[in-house]
Amino acid sequence: MNDLTIPLTMQVNGTDHSIDVEPRRHLADVLREDLALTGTHLGCEHGVCGACTVLIDGEPARACLMLAVQAEGSEIVTIEGLADADGTMHPVQAAMHQAMSFQCAFCTPGFLMSTIALLRDNPSPTTEEIREELSGNLCRCTGYQSIVDGVETAVELMGSDR
Amino acid sequence: MTATRQTSGLGFVGQRVMRVEDERLLIGDGHFVADGDPTAVLHAAFLRSPFAHADVVSIDVSAARALDGVVRVFTAAELNARTNLFPPFLMTNGLYAPLFGCLSERRVRHVGDPVALVVATSRAIAEDALELIDVDYEELDAVGSIKAALLGNAPKVWERAKGNVLGDFTDEFGDVAAAFDAADHTIEATLTCPRQTNQPMETRGIVVTVDPDDGHLDVRSTTQAPHFLKWALAALLIDKPTLRSVGDFVRNKERRSAFGAAAKEFVAANRHRLTEQDPRGLLSQVRADRSTLPLMNRIGAGLLAAADYPTVRAGDIGGGFGSKGPVSREEIAIGAAASIMGQSIQWIEDRVENLLDGGQAREEQFRVRVAVDSDGTLRALDVDAIIDQGAYPGFPIPPSVTAKFWKVYMPGPYDFGAFRLRARTVATNKGKVVPYRGPWANETWMRERVIDIVAAELELDPGDVRAKNVLRPESMPPAMITGPTLDETMSAAKTLDHALAMIDRDELVQQKSTAEARGHRLGVGIACYHEAAPGPANFWSSIEPGSDLLLYEDGRAELAADGTIRMYTSQSPHGQSHQTTYKQVAADEFGVSMDDVEIVWGNTDRTQFTLLGTGGSRGGPLGAGVMRVTARNVRDKVAEVAADMLEANVSDIEIVAGNIHVAGVPAKGMTYRDVAAKLAADDGITSGPVLTDQVRYEGVGNGGWSVATHVAWVDIDLETGEVTIPRYVVVEDCGPIINPGVVDGQVRGGVAQGIGAVFYEKHHYDEHATLMTTTYMDYLIPTAMEIPEIEVVHLETLTDGENDARGVGEGGMIGAPAALTNAVSDALGVQVTEQHLPPYRLLELAGIIGPD
Ligand code: FES
Ligand code: FES
Repeated sequence: MNDLTIPLTMQVNGTDHSIDVEPRRHLADVLREDLALTGTHLGCEHGVCGACTVLIDGEPARACLMLAVQAEGSEIVTIEGLADADGTMHPVQAAMHQAMSFQCAFCTPGFLMSTIALLRDNPSPTTEEIREELSGNLCRCTGYQSIVDGVETAVELMGSDR
Repeated sequence: MTATRQTSGLGFVGQRVMRVEDERLLIGDGHFVADGDPTAVLHAAFLRSPFAHADVVSIDVSAARALDGVVRVFTAAELNARTNLFPPFLMTNGLYAPLFGCLSERRVRHVGDPVALVVATSRAIAEDALELIDVDYEELDAVGSIKAALLGNAPKVWERAKGNVLGDFTDEFGDVAAAFDAADHTIEATLTCPRQTNQPMETRGIVVTVDPDDGHLDVRSTTQAPHFLKWALAALLIDKPTLRSVGDFVRNKERRSAFGAAAKEFVAANRHRLTEQDPRGLLSQVRADRSTLPLMNRIGAGLLAAADYPTVRAGDIGGGFGSKGPVSREEIAIGAAASIMGQSIQWIEDRVENLLDGGQAREEQFRVRVAVDSDGTLRALDVDAIIDQGAYPGFPIPPSVTAKFWKVYMPGPYDFGAFRLRARTVATNKGKVVPYRGPWANETWMRERVIDIVAAELELDPGDVRAKNVLRPESMPPAMITGPTLDETMSAAKTLDHALAMIDRDELVQQKSTAEARGHRLGVGIACYHEAAPGPANFWSSIEPGSDLLLYEDGRAELAADGTIRMYTSQSPHGQSHQTTYKQVAADEFGVSMDDVEIVWGNTDRTQFTLLGTGGSRGGPLGAGVMRVTARNVRDKVAEVAADMLEANVSDIEIVAGNIHVAGVPAKGMTYRDVAAKLAADDGITSGPVLTDQVRYEGVGNGGWSVATHVAWVDIDLETGEVTIPRYVVVEDCGPIINPGVVDGQVRGGVAQGIGAVFYEKHHYDEHATLMTTTYMDYLIPTAMEIPEIEVVHLETLTDGENDARGVGEGGMIGAPAALTNAVSDALGVQVTEQHLPPYRLLELAGIIGPD
């Protein structure tokens, strides 16, 4: 293959990274392979399942649809960046744990990221709004009810936190 | 019988205990197959046929080989020369089971059929190289449907078979002709179900690591059945150390005895397969295809010494729903390539490949006749069924086995006096059919749909017809007419009565008229079934004599020298929360906290041989059963040692919260650690187990049934054809529940897949057998917007076994398509005869738009 690479600087989960990447590689591959952040999953690689969702400058984005070089200069948060340094789960993670939201959990990184963005913009969504907002993420195991419960539990946990 | 829960010790069983798995999975610390270091392995990609049916005239891989970063390119001829063909397995009489290699050499038989394998330094380079391979195909006419397969002049998918009907059997129970003569009415229907696909969110994948010194293969895989993959790799790879060093084998005593041990393990695990496999099935296969025998010999000769078996490990797996149980051609190809090259290789399937050939299911049709009296008494059921198996049968469970399940299941929990099934398995030029969550489920769909058709024709209420005919505890016969023993304590009637009571008929009338006023139609549908989970002892022999393979589960409990309690299971969980539920069961038996128990799974070096892993709703009844029994046995041994140490009677020993003491004197207690230390000191052991118990657990005698009734309410917008599900109820009885949170999840997930099948998902092949649904833009998986809240009612009957938990993983999907299509029929006032009902079809059925 050609050796053409482009330098890329980005911050991931609070750590600055400067790496060289092939321009054709997508962000999810670079996160998973170059930074060993394998918590972000690839379910379809064509933008439908949402398993690869990460936060880029606070906004949820599909890391399988984005070229890594497009992330130049941005701040990225992945599932690995959610818990506190001492291992305490983020309230959304804790809520999903309580609600027994997931089974195989392959879809989980995407749902966590989408939920965090949702609750930041709308701290007390209705059930209908939750279902609507999460409809960009596929889960094949659960039938979604436990995930919706998890979001509602997160609303309670985060409400009492603040 | 009242609902009771078995609890002991600290009482984790029966509680909604949060999942242990989530402690790693929720923080992104899972270990899925694709999560390894990509620089430590080479990467593979398969070249796949763009044609449904074609001859491969020539293949030129020279340009691909020349590409920078490509390490090796295997053509089918090269790889097949160094692997065995997939042998026929689970043979039944008259079935033609085609033999096939891991890649297709002369002919391709479906779009996506693999013809070459590229191994490169990155997946991207491997994919680039695929584009440089030049294959000259000569296209043949393809068989795109059951109808096309049955035409007299249809092209043959398998040349050596007589035609495209690979299997055809008829079985009759009771006197069907007499029952039809005696009945008031004969009602007929033809029902069709299109192709679906399992679609776990994680695709398939395999990473084969080769030990540079001795060539030992260490395999990480998404398999639901690690031991079967291990066996298949051992049997199908020809390039094996054993065969390369026959001289060494003959001279080396250690090696000979290792071979003996492995052969013993293999024979023990395959006892019934080897001795009781339907000889007529094997005979008919040999007659149909003479290459079978030498192949079997070659595979037999390839039996390895234990050390030469690959080690297979399954870590976290992103769902399977049956599709990751079979051993795939790709897995054998990657194993062979790694073994030949002596280099480690990773293959991670992409979604398009998964849609093409990662496992498809349930393309079936039924011509049904029912004998019924005017009062709704069901007399007899006569079914002519056809399964579209695609080209290559799944290995080891070919689709024809589904028909054998039907033969036993079809009358369901009803009192049909007679039943006949003719079942044909037909080959077409499509992807392979695998088990999909309740692989036999269409027997329930067919029967429950037909009961509603009967009710409509006789102007009876469908609920009443069911209530009239369902087998009730007080009058339950000892066995189904098809063979398996019944258990009056686990009766579907109980769930049916409960569910019917939840339908408020007055309210329903109201709801219907409100819907109508809005230009909608509302209807309600019922489905009732029982499932062998895992079934009574004679369930499997009713399916096929001698096939009691699924009726037991091996497991082991041990206390290690350092006091650690370890439980070894041969299950391979992929979302079902075994780690949590097995800890609950074991902790209760040991009288310790869940943190004190370690569950070991997925590693063939550490768990016992089984051809099965997780599947068939066996994890609760058998998997948890063997955990319970072995834990109890080790606990009892510990109590004996403690009694000695405390100079007490063993019957006075109590273990509470890990404190082993004489009842009433907890202050003078000791711990498992103390007991382990004492035993270790006595035996001079410093590490490893000080106490072990290994058991082959055989389940709960004549029980083993799970039962349920589903009720669905659907609302159809006649403007758009859009469907909503205002209410969905499952009343189920899977015995005492280990963890209600887990059971609810299993039930709801299954129903969601049923909703998908009916309203959204159809794996669509055109008439040339070209797959049209190759992305998630075309194959529509329902989202949180489409799946409603699902109410689950648990009845929790306690029966007589040591471990009363019944399987519950498959039921959701078994009941849902029937309840939903019945509800649509009720809403629209027409009798639906196909399982898949997208908006345009609903509008057609409603008479809003004309058929195209
Ligand atoms: S992997 Fe990115 S949306 Fe599916
Ligand atoms: S939990 Fe398995 S895909 Fe969501």
